[in-house]
Amino acid sequence: MKNGLALFFGVLATLALSWAGLLLTAHRQIGALSQFKDPADDMLYPQPLSGVADQGRLVYQDLGCVTCHTQQVRQHGFGHDLAEGGRKWGERGSYARDYIRDRTVLIGQSRLGPDLRNVGTRLGDAKPEEYNEWFYKLLYAPQSVAAGTNMPPHPFLFEVHPVAGRQPSAHALALPAKFAPGPGLEVVPTPRAVALVTYLRSLKDTYDYPIERTRNLPAPKEGGH
Amino acid sequence: MNSSANNRTEQMEIDASAKWPVLFFFGSALLWLLLGGVMQLAAAMQLHQPGFWSGCEWVTHGRLVPAAQNALVYGWGMNAAFAFGLWLMARLSATTLRHGGWLFIAVKFWNLGVALGVLGIMGGYSTSFELLEMPRFVSLILLAAYALIGVWAVTTFSIRNTENVYASQWYIFGAAFWFPWLYAIAQVMLFKAPVRGVLQPVVNAWYAHGLYNLWFVPLALAAAYYFLPKILGKPVANYYLASLAFWWLAITSAFAGGSRLIGAPVPVWIPTMGIVANMLVVVGVVIVALNLFGTLAGRLEAAKSSLTLRFILISIVSFVLAAVMNLALSMRGFAAVVQFTLLDGLRDWLTFYACFSTAMFGAAYFILPRLTGKEWRSVALVKVHFAATALGVLLMVAGLTYAGWHQGQLLNDAAVPFTDITKAMSFWFAYRTVVLALLLLGHVAFLLNFVWIACPVNSRGTAAATFRPPPDLGLARKEGHA
Repeated sequence: MKNGLALFFGVLATLALSWAGLLLTAHRQIGALSQFKDPADDMLYPQPLSGVADQGRLVYQDLGCVTCHTQQVRQHGFGHDLAEGGRKWGERGSYARDYIRDRTVLIGQSRLGPDLRNVGTRLGDAKPEEYNEWFYKLLYAPQSVAAGTNMPPHPFLFEVHPVAGRQPSAHALALPAKFAPGPGLEVVPTPRAVALVTYLRSLKDTYDYPIERTRNLPAPKEGGH
Repeated sequence: MNSSANNRTEQMEIDASAKWPVLFFFGSALLWLLLGGVMQLAAAMQLHQPGFWSGCEWVTHGRLVPAAQNALVYGWGMNAAFAFGLWLMARLSATTLRHGGWLFIAVKFWNLGVALGVLGIMGGYSTSFELLEMPRFVSLILLAAYALIGVWAVTTFSIRNTENVYASQWYIFGAAFWFPWLYAIAQVMLFKAPVRGVLQPVVNAWYAHGLYNLWFVPLALAAAYYFLPKILGKPVANYYLASLAFWWLAITSAFAGGSRLIGAPVPVWIPTMGIVANMLVVVGVVIVALNLFGTLAGRLEAAKSSLTLRFILISIVSFVLAAVMNLALSMRGFAAVVQFTLLDGLRDWLTFYACFSTAMFGAAYFILPRLTGKEWRSVALVKVHFAATALGVLLMVAGLTYAGWHQGQLLNDAAVPFTDITKAMSFWFAYRTVVLALLLLGHVAFLLNFVWIACPVNSRGTAAATFRPPPDLGLARKEGHA
């Protein structure tokens, strides 16, 4: 190889080929995925995020939650993420269509912490206030709801007020004494904490698309692989 | 690979033209290496001491990890690559490095961009896309600074005074174009005109894999292809195969990014294509191994006596290991266990640190004495650096391979509560902290030696000094023709 120009075009071609072959092709295939209208209730799925939840997504992004948390439930037969004998991180594996509601898609690649794709169903049928309280405690003092976790506390998402001389806040956390900041003080979530928790609660892919179910079935086994 | 005109005088002229830009790039690279290393160490500590630095938003774990990674990749990695790439391109093209003044401006802007980027991540402007976390505006500074740097690599190549183009030149030339294209495309597709849904992780995987395998790996290979024959004084074995390896690796690794998305909610052909590409990469790796280990065959003792070649040896062994790791992580059965674990993180560490960074250390031990005309001041510090690096790489690979496998098995066993996994892993988190501290110790030793050799007021030795190999390490040997 002595010809600089040939080298240049070769170098250009290798990258152009992978760009076209991988990104452009993928974009043509799923770049225009749309919401699915359920004929039974005439609703569109996935439902868009609320405004506050979308602000929470930005908090999720700026705090780098993706460093330790994934947001992708692997399909049945690959890993053990699902309900039967698995970690129960979802009722079904994630579909590409689930993500079109998210402005930024952070599926993550480290599970130092649990998967969060369906964390909005984590407490089952608990009331919204119970969910809020649980998430706030988790963010303020993770050990108070998940003993033994190495999740770092996020005290900067909360304000600590003295209670003296004013009415206690209705949103103050009910913390066990061990994690409370001290007598006469209350812990109140900031708007960022409210947004983040709203976002986390919105994470639940509970709707199962009839068109995706068949498409995402595991391939039939043909005598090993 | 060199015309007879390229004699020693010319080499010294070339070195003189490259001296200050290269010292400046290496100096900033080392500062970032240290800074990033400290941040990485603190972040690693947070995993087993969750209270550590947790009250301050700027250094919360989720921000500290990407900030450290960006400081290391864009601060240390890119600056070191610039220093080495520009110098080698000038040497192999037998022409002086011109317009050094532009390089000074460029390096300042590059460092400014990285500093703003790292601060931006810590200050809450992170995008959370792997290796693209820096705030959007920083990318413009980086691209502009890169244009000023990359253009001289290409210009130096195009005004070359040699007839043949050597393997190292292909790799540097290719990388010089791949990086800005990868970076610009990723910026456009993720931020300027963002693609929708899971296409974002696809673009991100394509970029991350490309940055490691089409920028850092080519530079490491350029170093290996240059220093092995040069220091051993024999041509590369089976050299006629080298160009095949170059194109093979370029094409296959450009397609391999999809393998990072095995099991992800993307069309299944994307990971499948990545898996196939990772299998094909092996052919290129085998050819490179034939070239490099073939050159080493029978000369291992000679190689060991050169400090540069010791680092290069770690680098090429890690290059092969990284390919094996990529291949292993492409196997669905294996990936189902170790995906998302510490082992998954080891893949990029192997490429970036064990393969690329060690090659740059080796190159620095060769280049800097020639540029400054001085010798390394402290042999003890050199030994500390090498020992820390060799031991650190070994411990990291062995330890995290086991730890990742163990973590993956626990993750896949629903009978084990999640907090028990954390408990089981806390020893390995601490272990990783210790290994990172060991590596950092080596970096400090290297920086001290660098300051001594690069500082102009240091009176020991001036230009045109003869290179006397210090006892048993062969830090700088008398060189003949390139």
